[in-house]
Amino acid sequence: MIEFQDVFKRFGSNEVLKGISFKVPQGQILFILGTSGTGKSVLLKNIVGLMKPDAGAITVDGQLVSSFTEEQMFAVRRECGMVFQQPALFDSLTVFDNVAFGLRKHQPELDAAAVRARVEECLSLVHLGDISHKRPQEISYGMQKRVSLARTVAVSPRILLFDEPTTGLDPVTTRAINQLILELSKKLNTTSIVVSHDMHCALEIADRIIVMDKGNIVERGSPAELKNSRHPLVQDFLKEALNAEIAD
Amino acid sequence: MLKSLTNIIDDIGGGMIFLGETLRTAFRTPCTYESIAEQIWKVTIQSLPTTALAGFFVGAIMTVQFTMQIQTFGAIGYLGGLATSGTVREIGPLLIAFLLSGKVGAFTSAELGTMRVTEQIDAIRCLGANPIQEIIVPRFIGIVISSFFLLAAGLVMSLFGGMLLGVVFSGISPEEYLHYIPAIVSMFSIYSGLFKCLVFALLLASVCTYKGYTASGGAKGVGRAVVSTAVMTMVGIVVADWITSLLSETVLTLFLGGTA
Repeated sequence: MIEFQDVFKRFGSNEVLKGISFKVPQGQILFILGTSGTGKSVLLKNIVGLMKPDAGAITVDGQLVSSFTEEQMFAVRRECGMVFQQPALFDSLTVFDNVAFGLRKHQPELDAAAVRARVEECLSLVHLGDISHKRPQEISYGMQKRVSLARTVAVSPRILLFDEPTTGLDPVTTRAINQLILELSKKLNTTSIVVSHDMHCALEIADRIIVMDKGNIVERGSPAELKNSRHPLVQDFLKEALNAEIAD
Repeated sequence: MLKSLTNIIDDIGGGMIFLGETLRTAFRTPCTYESIAEQIWKVTIQSLPTTALAGFFVGAIMTVQFTMQIQTFGAIGYLGGLATSGTVREIGPLLIAFLLSGKVGAFTSAELGTMRVTEQIDAIRCLGANPIQEIIVPRFIGIVISSFFLLAAGLVMSLFGGMLLGVVFSGISPEEYLHYIPAIVSMFSIYSGLFKCLVFALLLASVCTYKGYTASGGAKGVGRAVVSTAVMTMVGIVVADWITSLLSETVLTLFLGGTA
């Protein structure tokens, strides 16, 4: 379970998170929606210790990670896989070595054949064929995003964090990635937090949805509850979702 | 003015903390030998042709300059010894440092900066690995070790360049050129050159890895990191050269009676 209690974060005079509190129970998918610059990505980075909150507490499975040192965070990060807004693949390595990176690091007991089998399994999980010998710059952006997802799940994390996983992708790949998030969460029973602008997708696959605006949570609830919200920002998102549904 | 001064102090402080973290990581959680060997190979191969070429011409320049000075005193026989001593003690390490700064320093800073702004460094952290151990320590050690290989290659080429110009320009034979080298180039000169090479390499490795690792702000940020690396290493090398020269002279005076 992930829990935020009254978390604040500021960059200079810009207060990005203004007392955020929420819980994500084990195995659930939480979508965090909001316009750009509302602190959604900052929120995710605080969970894995890439940033530290100025005040408040963040707990992951009962551990107060907001007070952890960088060394202590290494163990937590093995349990929390994060998929970045950009694919963030290591461009000096092949697709195979990218996916195998975490495995080689944390499971040195695995022999070459076991690593290969796991890499192939993860690539097939994200519906990618034999591209393991290619370098990231030789495959499309959508494929890079999927490799990034495969690299994250290769070490079998219990928590998955997605930072705008479908930004910059075409509608077909967007649908495929969203479907993957659902599949992975159900197959691996992971707790997932997805930062997104995509209400249409959130309504389809989320267990809970949070809507953020200017560092505050302005609405929260299940997809059914959000559909009845009167908040203007939620209304705007719902209109976009409706348009997307019509376009489908 | 005050802001620039604050930035410089901030950079030096940040760089020192980063160097401390790099050295601590290198000793506590060392990286693999393969990753260090890969970096040594990359840096050496990347800079070998330029270093060899520059080394050749430095030897040639030293010979031409010394010929003009010592011909007046009828001491042309000492040409090889003097030119080689100057190259070993001063010009060689300085040349390697400047060349590495331009090629390897800028390259490393840009490479790490790009990894930073494309979230690759954050991805390493999120995979439960330490980026200092994974990408900084191998590059740091690689640059330091390679600089000695390149110094050796540069010195051999400068000796060759000096000898060739000695024959063509100064009219002495190769045997005459080489004759006084063992007498003039003392062990102290060699140690002094090696010490300078080590100091410059440590400075360069620290600056380029630190500036690249802390780059921010997209492509512009990477550009800023590269420019900052070039400026800081050039200025730093000149200042470090003065300090190491002063130290060498002090050691020479205090412990070796002022002769080397």
